[in-house]
Amino acid sequence: MRLVIDESRCKGCNLCTLVCPYRIFRPGTKANPRGVIVPELDRPERCANCRLQRLYGRTICGMCQMICPDQAISWEEEGPCEPMKVAIEY
Amino acid sequence: MTFDEWLRVDRLPHIYCAGCGNGTVINCTLSAVDQMGWKKEEIVFVSGIGCSSRAPGYIVTDSLHTTHGRAIAFATGIKMANPDLKVVVFTGDGDLAAIGGNHFIHGCRRNIDLTVICMNNMIYGMTGGQGSPTTPRGALSTTTPYGSSEAAFDLCGLAAAAGANYVARYTSYHVKELTLAIRTGLGNPGFSFIEALVQCPTNYGRRNKLRQVSDQIEYFKSHAILAQKAERMREEGKKIPDDMIIIGELARRNRPALGVRK
Amino acid sequence: MQGNTACAEGALAAGCRFFGGYPITPSTEIAEHMAAKLPKVGGVFIQMEDEIAGIASVIGASWTGARAMTATSGPGFSLMMENIGFAVMTETPCVVVNIQRGGPSTGQPTMAAQGDMLQCRFGSHGDYSIIALSPASVQEMYDLTAEAFNLADRFRIPVFVMADEIIGHMRERLMIPDSVHRGERKLLGKGNLPYQADDDLVPGFPVFGKGYGVHVTGLTHDERGYPCATSPSVHECLVKRLVDKVESARDSIASCDIVNPDARVVFISYGAPSRAVEQVLHDIHNDNVGHLRLKLVWPFAESLLSRFSNAETFIVPELNMGQMAREIKRHTNRRVIPVPKLGGALHDPFDLAALVEELL
Repeated sequence: MRLVIDESRCKGCNLCTLVCPYRIFRPGTKANPRGVIVPELDRPERCANCRLQRLYGRTICGMCQMICPDQAISWEEEGPCEPMKVAIEY
Repeated sequence: MTFDEWLRVDRLPHIYCAGCGNGTVINCTLSAVDQMGWKKEEIVFVSGIGCSSRAPGYIVTDSLHTTHGRAIAFATGIKMANPDLKVVVFTGDGDLAAIGGNHFIHGCRRNIDLTVICMNNMIYGMTGGQGSPTTPRGALSTTTPYGSSEAAFDLCGLAAAAGANYVARYTSYHVKELTLAIRTGLGNPGFSFIEALVQCPTNYGRRNKLRQVSDQIEYFKSHAILAQKAERMREEGKKIPDDMIIIGELARRNRPALGVRK
Repeated sequence: MQGNTACAEGALAAGCRFFGGYPITPSTEIAEHMAAKLPKVGGVFIQMEDEIAGIASVIGASWTGARAMTATSGPGFSLMMENIGFAVMTETPCVVVNIQRGGPSTGQPTMAAQGDMLQCRFGSHGDYSIIALSPASVQEMYDLTAEAFNLADRFRIPVFVMADEIIGHMRERLMIPDSVHRGERKLLGKGNLPYQADDDLVPGFPVFGKGYGVHVTGLTHDERGYPCATSPSVHECLVKRLVDKVESARDSIASCDIVNPDARVVFISYGAPSRAVEQVLHDIHNDNVGHLRLKLVWPFAESLLSRFSNAETFIVPELNMGQMAREIKRHTNRRVIPVPKLGGALHDPFDLAALVEELL
């Protein structure tokens, strides 16, 4: 699964950046055509839901989606891609 | 479940400011309602006036956006006339405790089967930042430019004393706990009161040195203390600082409820 | 039967199944009677904490499809005004009975008056129109209260039954019909927008709990029911429709009794003073004295005045300082003499007769 931020809804508050336990977001740098600086995905491979939702059949974590005041975060299916090496740090 | 199946997507993006805690509380409520397995036709959201009370306008179910402070009275009429409907009330701190104070305590006294979710941002947000009954002592607002000289209401204490069946308080940082508390309240017969402290960066935060959205969330994170822990600390004789926020389930009773079909 | 009891019985016969109110002299008997009778017919009675909550609960109940009413008097009526405006704006049918008493403020709780006639029409902020009925006997308390529910459902507005303490507390014989005509609320057709008006300017009613998913708000709203508070055209359209839906029907719903339409001197009255006028007409026996007794006072149907083609003078006895006389004056060039009587006692038929003799 892939995390998608709906740019027509996001207002750039960066609460997702603040609460993510895996710190997959970072504050954005460029304003989009609406004038909003949308957060960017710094390390999307660490998102627990992206990796495990298919396996468990339910939303894992999902803190960003719950806390987003604008309901801008959702996950979508993504096509097959090469496996990546992931190093978990604490 | 996606939020989109509960929201009127033709009205999004909504009017809330960037980083408003109300959006978060709406997410928690919709998540809780969905987990209850209720059908959309049997739910009615009622609200008063204010930022919190704009929420039902974005939800697909039947909703009633009433006059300032009177949401609980309207909800009482709906519930008594048709006890099969599930009635959830969205309200704010000013709507509930200032003008709606009388209806609030009588709702608790009657123990009418409602779930009231109060989005307490400690200010009157929609109208530009006036002080509310829950504005902390010393906080700045447009009508308290020298710092509030009045004490703030303890809404949960009020609800518990007046006889509500379920009283809980969480903040908009504690989303998982808040969702669980709302779900418990929805399932609990009788008056369920959930106070959600939310951040208002535009009006409260900006005037009280918590300008960034993250500042107020950090404040909630660091100043929240679970009720059981506070109880333990009191028993051990340790002092709890005044500005700590006590969260958790604060009252749970089984008083007979009004408006429930026998 | 007492007038107040007849009012409650009329409501029950019309299908009223919800009463939410607050006790206030002189309307308390209505609440007490409803408290006793409603549970027996499967209805709900709730005594709320104040009149504001009373009318709020009535509006909430009305949205679940129930016929709902409340009963109050002057001070409670003033409190209800904000929510009455809400009922008008959201087009919620409900019935508010006002057993008027001496005002202003606490005034004379146990004496009659008709001092709220302009308030029921203009009491809430903003422009709107409502229907007000004025019973003059215990029989009419029964009949007009039952009719009020039909009018409320037809026009989707709060309908006021403006009685006074005399009619409310008097005891008289009445005929209780086997059944009362019941007009049903027009439900919203599937596929129609919630606030899209039909030809009669009234939209269908989207009951809660049937899957309509309607958002009802007191903010200015468009036809979907969504708030559009900053749009001048939407607001103008909405307010004009709210006023026109009642005003355009004022001739068709007008209800009155007319005696001697060819008279030169005509009494116009409503409510309790009508009884004094009837006594005058009985005593004088003169075809040149006529009587227009209004049963439906608001919206005021000025076409009724033109039915009295020979009238030179209208005498308007009221238990107030000339509230309806003011409205009548604006619709006619003929002489209008208001006869105010304050303090709770009815007009003396001898005084009214003397006035008539002087004019003839």
